[in-house]
Parts: sequence; structure tokens; C-alpha cells
Amino acid sequence: MRALCWNGINDLGVETVGDPRIVNPHDVILQVRMSTTCGSDLHFIDGDIPTMRKGDVIGHEFMGTVVEKGPAVKKVQVGDRVVVPSFICCGSCWYCQHDLWSLCDNTNPQGELQEPLFGAQTAGIYGYTHAFGGYAGAHAQFVRVPHADNDCFRVPEGVTDEQALFLSDAVPTGYMGAEFCDIQPGQTVAVWGCGGVGLMAQKAAFLLGAERVIGIDRLPERLKLAREKVGAETLSYEEVDSVQDVLKELTGGRGPDACIDAVGMEAHGTGVGYAYERAKQALHLQTDRGQALRQAILACRKGGILSVLGVYGFMDAFPMGALMNKGLTVRAAQQHGQKYLPRLLEHVVKGELDPSFLATHRFSLEDAPKGYELFKKKQDGCVRAVFLPN
Amino acid sequence: MRDTIQQPGARSPAVPPRGGSQRRSPFGRDGQRTSEERLPQLVSALAGGALLTLGLQRGRLGGVAMALAGGGLLFRGTRTEQEPYVRRHGVVVRKFRRQRGRDATVELTVLQRSITIQGTPEALHRRWLDAETLSQVMGHFADVTSPGEGLQHWRVPGVLGKDLEWDAQVVEERPGELLRWQSVGDTALPNEGWVRFRPAPRDWGTEVTLRFVFDPPGGILGEKAVQLLGAVPAALARMALKRFKSLVESGEIPTTRPNPAAREGGYAS
Ligand SMILES: NC(=O)c1ccc[n+]([C@@H]2O[C@H](COP(=O)([O-])OP(=O)(O)OC[C@H]3O[C@@H](n4cnc5c(N)ncnc54)[C@H](O)[C@@H]3O)[C@@H](O)[C@H]2O)c1
Ligand SMILES: [Zn+2]
Ligand SMILES: [Zn+2]
Repeated sequence: MRALCWNGINDLGVETVGDPRIVNPHDVILQVRMSTTCGSDLHFIDGDIPTMRKGDVIGHEFMGTVVEKGPAVKKVQVGDRVVVPSFICCGSCWYCQHDLWSLCDNTNPQGELQEPLFGAQTAGIYGYTHAFGGYAGAHAQFVRVPHADNDCFRVPEGVTDEQALFLSDAVPTGYMGAEFCDIQPGQTVAVWGCGGVGLMAQKAAFLLGAERVIGIDRLPERLKLAREKVGAETLSYEEVDSVQDVLKELTGGRGPDACIDAVGMEAHGTGVGYAYERAKQALHLQTDRGQALRQAILACRKGGILSVLGVYGFMDAFPMGALMNKGLTVRAAQQHGQKYLPRLLEHVVKGELDPSFLATHRFSLEDAPKGYELFKKKQDGCVRAVFLPN
Repeated sequence: MRDTIQQPGARSPAVPPRGGSQRRSPFGRDGQRTSEERLPQLVSALAGGALLTLGLQRGRLGGVAMALAGGGLLFRGTRTEQEPYVRRHGVVVRKFRRQRGRDATVELTVLQRSITIQGTPEALHRRWLDAETLSQVMGHFADVTSPGEGLQHWRVPGVLGKDLEWDAQVVEERPGELLRWQSVGDTALPNEGWVRFRPAPRDWGTEVTLRFVFDPPGGILGEKAVQLLGAVPAALARMALKRFKSLVESGEIPTTRPNPAAREGGYAS
């Protein structure tokens, strides 16, 4: 089959690879109908997170049709149109049983690669480094989905492929981030980042009862989406001297009740701090760039909640003092998609949620490298590039 | 193993560590820049784990076995009482130097790992005894068969065309609590082990502890063998437990083989 592969840093190519096969009894093979780019892919494309190998098939946000199933698969049927969360989860370990799906104990065959960094092992992900399992990804004609009865969610009739696609990753991530905020009536939530994840976090904050949502970014087209498609107020960090001051002024001097970081380690910034971090990166002394996260900590009101969705490895100059002295609560996770999928599908069916506006560009699989180029460089208003592999 | 720690800016090792296979390295080695080179701090941290994986190749222990077998050395007995440190601290991995003859010392390799698994101690104990279980759980380094009640036959595929084999016998069994076995007769790699099941708090299930003790023979050959054994046993107990857990909890052991990729003819794990 054809598949989009990582051939090296900033080097993606469409290659011919073997077709996936049923390996374990709970596997299915999916014919991919749609797959899409995610900000998380940029981390390994840029070489900021290790354990990729030349020729790895990438992609973790996808939906498709079941074409083959293993002997132990009971609920899922050949022919089902399904959406699959990006984390592979067994459904039976303690973590899965407690709705902490991305922490699943049983799906990362190379989990020991994570031990030195995390002191523990997480679930596996499709197409996302060997430390996260080394599973072949979904920017391909076919993909193997383990634990299918647990991880495949049938897409109801009337829900389009594009609506279902983003329920794989961007929507549940944003929804989880908003749920972390424990939103009370009348509260204000600020969200750093207006990419797919940030926009969905803003939307979810409204669904969960926030009175005001403030989206922060610098890209005008994304800020526009936040205003027009989500109903958020927006703030361009390049157009103000201090994001923190503006947020305080918008909230009677208190600061937002909760702050969501939907930016991560590739944060772009302005000023001296940013120049310092870029210089460190050039000298191979890099730790993560953390402008958004630092800003969120400083802006958050006392006793507020910091919800971290952005992906990080190491960060220095972390404002621990602000966190501690202001008594903030930090909540963070990779997405627990399986927890949210049923209710998200319901929101879509009821017309309360339509994430398809994230799909700003469509490409055939053969043109996927072009799609990543646009997405990475945020050109032509690209929010998510969607691929149609078949 | 000298490649484990890299200097900032250093390239990934161009040559796989001894005994490791080229195939399974998660690090690119195709003469081009890999993501690791950009983040040396992460590299050195991750490399330890990566090499563990490399070390787990079938055949690696086989290499050790060959070294040992060549010497025609014999089992000299292993006593858990000789592990005071383990006893006192319930230590995880530890090597013990011990005198062997006038001028030879060797290290006794003890490795112990614990894991928490959903299920009762009784159910997990029964599952461990299941004829298929051991062969699946140890499949990453040995073929284990059960020729009879309380008997195990272990075979570690060799690299030089010869396999390392031994028979083990269950020497102690307490249902829902403990199972202990020992290699019997002449073997190049005398060893013993036990698995213990204890109820975990709340709804966590059972704490399962697995211990292996490898007691290589004395002399320079023994020393060498222990060095070679190095990376393997450290991960052996942990891997075995992890596989047992996945098998019991989720009904399968996670794997990516065969995995579509644009290398090695279209499939690579
Ligand atoms: N927790 C999870 O499970 C999970 C899932 C998916 C993605 N993520 C992470 O979420 C983050 C965002 O993902 P995405 O797909 O939306 O990425 P994206 O690249 O599409 O969007 C990131 C946005 O952040 C903006 N940004 C950069 N610096 C900023 C700053 N200092 N202040 C405010 N905004 C800034 C960019 O302009 C961009 O619009 C990434 O770190 C990604 O790895 C996490
Ligand atoms: Zn993602
Ligand atoms: Zn699980």
C-alpha cells in the first residue's frame, strides 16, 4: 500500500510499504477514509522528540471502514464506518477502567523507552515515535487497529466523515482540557493557541458552561475562526505589550479562572526570552520553548486552574514560584479519547458541535507532504490538512 | 554498552552495540541526521532504554550461553540466604560478588521486579501455571515447555548454531502465593526463580513479584559471561511481567510485528 513516511528531520515522503495484517486476536484492519495532520506531528518532524526511525508510517488522527477483523473481535463488524481515538487502549487495565485511557498499561510494546524520561510507561499511539509504541500510522491506505471493540466508535448515519475525523484527536483533547477546568457558571476561560486543539478547547469550554472564552494566538485567520465559529473573544499576542495585563483588564483585575495551554513545546514568542530560547536551540542546548505555558501561569487568577494540553519534554525557567504561591491547580494529560467519544458523537448528532470547519485543506495521499508543508508553516490559512488515502 | 551516554551533539552510534540486532534499533542509522541529534539530553536519557530493548534480542543470551557452555562448567548451587541486601531492602536488581576458588570471583545476578495486575492472587497463580502462559510470557528470550507436572524445559536459541537448554523443577508451591523453581542437573547457566502473588490495596488487584537468580560459574569465563549477561537480565524480569500482565488483562501481548514501514522490504517493528 501507499503511506506517508518519516524519512528524516523535515523530510516526509509517500512510499510503498507492506499492507498491515491482523497480528493479535482483537485487531481489525481499517481502510482509511480520512486522516489529518496534528500539531503533535510537528514535534518529531522538526526533530524535537526522538525515537523516530527512517521509514516509519506517520499519522494518528483518522477514521475509516473496517475491512477485516481478528477472531476475538465481537462488537465491531466488517463494513462499519468508525472513528478511532489516537491512543491505543486495552479497556481492561486499571487505568482504562478508571477512564484514564492514554495511561493504558497494555498497549506500548516499547514502553521501556519512556522509563528514563517519564519514570513510567504510557499507552501506544499510531504513527508517533517508537517511545510511544512504534505502531504504523494512519496516513496510509490501511491501518491496523488493536483492541478494536474498545477503540473503534461507530459513526452514526448523518454524521459526515469530516465531522467524525476530528473526534479522533483534536476534539477530545480540547474537550478534556475544558473539563479539567471544572467550569462554574459565570467563569472565564483563556485558551493559548487557536489551532485545532485550542479551537476545540474553546468550543468545549462553552459547551461545559463557561460564560466567557478568550482565545489567544497571532494568526489572524485562526483568531477569526475563534470568533466566528466558536464565539470566543480573541487576543493577538503580537498586538499587545502584555497578554497578562490585557487578560487582567478583561477580568476586573483578577485574571481568568482557568487557563488552557493548547500550544506546547513549539511555542512561538516575542522579546528577549524567545531570542534566548532560539539561541539555546541553535546550540543544541535546547529545552522546550514555553512562552505560552509561562504566560498562562502568570495570568491565571489566584486559586485558578491550569490545564495543560500542549506537549512538552523538558522545560527550564518554569515559574514554579507563581504556581505555588498563587495556589494553582495543574491538570494535564494526553487525551483520554475513549472517555469522551460517545458524548462527543451525541453533541454532533444533536447539532451542538461541528468540528468540520477545521478541515481547511484536502489532499490526496500522494500530496500529503505538501499538506504538511502548509500545515507546518501555517500557510494559506491552513488549520488542518485532511488526506483522502483511497 | 559504551555508547549509552552520548556527548551533546554526538551522532547516534553508527554501529549497533554488540549482540544487538541491526533490525530493531529505534535510532536511525542510515547515515543521515536523526531527531536524536537535535536533543542530546533526551538521547542519553533514552538510549539507556533503547539499549535495553536491543539487548533483549533473542540470541543475545544465546551468546552468553555459548560462552558458558564452551567452558563445560557446572552448577554449584544458589542460596537465597546469601542475598542479605535483597532480604533487607527487597532490592530490585543487584549483583553479588562471591569467591569462587582461590583467585576467582564472580557475580551472582539477582533481578527482581514487581507489577500490579487486575485479578485475584489465586486466579493469577492459576494463569501462571497454565501450560501456554510461560512460553508466551518468556517468548522474548526463551522457549519454555512443560514436559510434565512441575517440570519446565527452557531453551534459549543460540547464535552459534547451538541452543542453551536446561530443565527446571518446581521446588515450592503455595497456591495463590508463591511458586519457586530451580534448574536441575548439569547446565551451563544455573539459575532459579520464583513468582509471588500478594493482594494489592483497594481495586488494584494483585502485586506480582518475579525474581530470577543467575549463578554463573567461576573463573575468567564466568566474569565474561556476567558482563555479557549485563543488559539482558535487568530487563528480563520486567519484560516477562509486563507480558504476563498484558496477556492476563487484555488477552494479548502488544506487538508491532509485522508493522508496515518503508524499510526492510516493507515491514519493520
Ligand atoms: N494532550 C493531547 O492529547 C494532545 C493532542 C493533540 C495535540 N496536542 C498538543 O496540543 C498542541 C496544539 O496542537 P494543534 O494541533 O492545535 O497545533 P497547531 O500547530 O495547529 O496550533 C498551535 C497554535 O499555537 C499558536 N501559538 C504559538 N505560540 C503561541 C503563543 N506563545 N501564544 C499563543 N498561541 C501560540 C500557533 O500560532 C498555532 O496557531 C501541540 O503541542 C500538540 O502537540 C496534545
Ligand atoms: Zn494529535
Ligand atoms: Zn488499558
